[in-house]
Amino acid sequence: MSSTLTTNKVEGFVSHIAENNLAVWNELKSIRQSGLKAIKSLKFPTTRDEYWKYSRTTKITKNHYHFSQLDSIKGDLSKVKIEGLDTYEIVMVNGFFNAELSSLPKNDIIEIKSFEECTTEELTSYFSQNLDTITNFFSALNTAYFSEGIMIVAKGVCDKPVHVIHYSEGNNVISQPRNLFITEKNAELSIIKSSINQNTENFFYNSVNEFFIGENSHMNYYVIQNYEEGMNVISTNVATQEKNSNFSAYNYTLKGDWIRNNTNIFVKGENCESNLYGAYQPKGKQHIDNHTIMDHIMPNCESNEHYKGTVDDKATGVFNGKVFVRKDAQKINAFQSNNNILLSDDATMNSKPELEIYADDVKCSHGSTSGQLDEEAVFYLQSRGLSKESATALLIGAFLGEVVEKIKLPELKDKVLEMYGME
Amino acid sequence: MISIKNLHASIDGKEILKGINLEVKAGEVHAIMGPNGSGKSTLSSVLAGNEDYEITEGSVDFMGEDLLEYSTEERARMGVFLAFQYPIEIPGVSNMNFLRTAINETRESRGEEPIAAKDFLAMVKEKSALVELDNSLLKRYVNEGFSGGEKKRNEIFQMAMLEPKLAILDETDSGLDIDALKIVSHGVNTLKNQENATIVITHYQRLLDYIVPDFVHVLYKGKIVKSGTKELALELEEKGYDWIKEEVNA
Repeated sequence: MSSTLTTNKVEGFVSHIAENNLAVWNELKSIRQSGLKAIKSLKFPTTRDEYWKYSRTTKITKNHYHFSQLDSIKGDLSKVKIEGLDTYEIVMVNGFFNAELSSLPKNDIIEIKSFEECTTEELTSYFSQNLDTITNFFSALNTAYFSEGIMIVAKGVCDKPVHVIHYSEGNNVISQPRNLFITEKNAELSIIKSSINQNTENFFYNSVNEFFIGENSHMNYYVIQNYEEGMNVISTNVATQEKNSNFSAYNYTLKGDWIRNNTNIFVKGENCESNLYGAYQPKGKQHIDNHTIMDHIMPNCESNEHYKGTVDDKATGVFNGKVFVRKDAQKINAFQSNNNILLSDDATMNSKPELEIYADDVKCSHGSTSGQLDEEAVFYLQSRGLSKESATALLIGAFLGEVVEKIKLPELKDKVLEMYGME
Repeated sequence: MISIKNLHASIDGKEILKGINLEVKAGEVHAIMGPNGSGKSTLSSVLAGNEDYEITEGSVDFMGEDLLEYSTEERARMGVFLAFQYPIEIPGVSNMNFLRTAINETRESRGEEPIAAKDFLAMVKEKSALVELDNSLLKRYVNEGFSGGEKKRNEIFQMAMLEPKLAILDETDSGLDIDALKIVSHGVNTLKNQENATIVITHYQRLLDYIVPDFVHVLYKGKIVKSGTKELALELEEKGYDWIKEEVNA
């Protein structure tokens, strides 16, 4: 009885989304259908599911949504511009690519095209390769009903980073962008993802990005999340690394009502380096959840993961990092660390570092700390004339700054430091 | 400059200061000596505004103001400086950034403009030379990885930058070798003038060979039990604290 009820809820939720006429042509049909098939067998996740234990999704699933293509936008895209940094720009409005607002490269090194322009082979060889559409309802939902997508292929060392700007506007709107990023052999590419939202209420943003880091190539992916009110965000990023490659994912959350980030890296070749860095600072009643999977499948690789956060007021932070070292993945150096500062008595931090090792010759460490601001340090700074507020800000800045300093683009680093109120 | 009257302070319900009376005038150097646990560091913490301590009785007048009414940062901006016995390491905060913020917030509280970058750098150069503090240390995080001597010299450097009216040096000599002691003392002596005052808290007489006090006080069981001139310090060095304890306990 209750199972039927749940299924009906899913059907009701999905039927609203399905009312929209999303692009479906032959190549996409089978992809969308695989997602649809998965949805039919899935229920909404609950906190009884380990993967969603600390993040209640009912505030998303209780609403009905529609897609919304806008002719013009109310927001100002210039505020996410990075001073002094020249970038290519891809603008997506409510999940749909907007060519007019974008500034695309005109060279042979970097190719940017819509899925419509892709061949069947291109789409099927990259789509949903390591994405869990079997158990993850939201990944399946994106696969069945992604609004639109772009494929970005770096064929060599790119001269400028690609700045992907996601703009959201509207009430009860769902945005499901889907992008594929590929660095071919020996290529280098940096991607920056920024978000802007205006006049949003019950907006559900559910994105999936897939990354393919080819042999001997480098890819850096920077995410800046700075949402105004009215946004519920699930952002799923899945990367697959080939041998001798280097992939780094950076996630900086300034603010957002409810955010769940899934960042998963699968290392399928030897001699790879993978880095995962993140900072978050939920305040008020915000809920920021970072889930990561670092999966070492092949030997002789290294991974570094460091997430840091401060949780204030009645906010909640979640960190769940899982490192796998598979049976054949010998000589792996895998490090994971999560540090938190709780700034109020009502703040909550759920931190769960996990390590599963099936190989016997590896060097791995993981750890998690949650503490309070160092009162002695605050007093020391105050005794030199700093107000309690600036002393606290300086210490928080120093704490989070460690992972912001990891940004390799100086102009972007300055911008993020400034956004966090650091110099 | 500062007039402490019948000051009582306790922590976690335990009374540490049991009626301190002390008067320090501009241009003077006072030494406060005493055995371990007598309340020396508590006195400096209380004067700096450490909220861990509860003031149960007494008053502190600082240049005509009721000092106890002000927060730690307000006291600092009024010109009270505490050189910590154990300076705190603050990873991630650079010395320069920290000092510039401290100076500018102090200036702002006085209605002054922020210090110009050029003037700030010139000041840093001049004051760091005073305590022979390597400029590379200034670019590093506050006290992180500093040796004991470097931390103490950094305290005196901060004091030189902030130009306080009243400097309280809490066991500044502890952990210093003789060379570092001379450098630190030279810094303190150079900063001394007729407009400011210094309270030197120390366990040993050694520091007072270099920073010569006008008055010496002995703190024991939360009270000043004996006061004298610099000769008292020499007597303590020679005879220890036992005779004082006997006098008090008798």
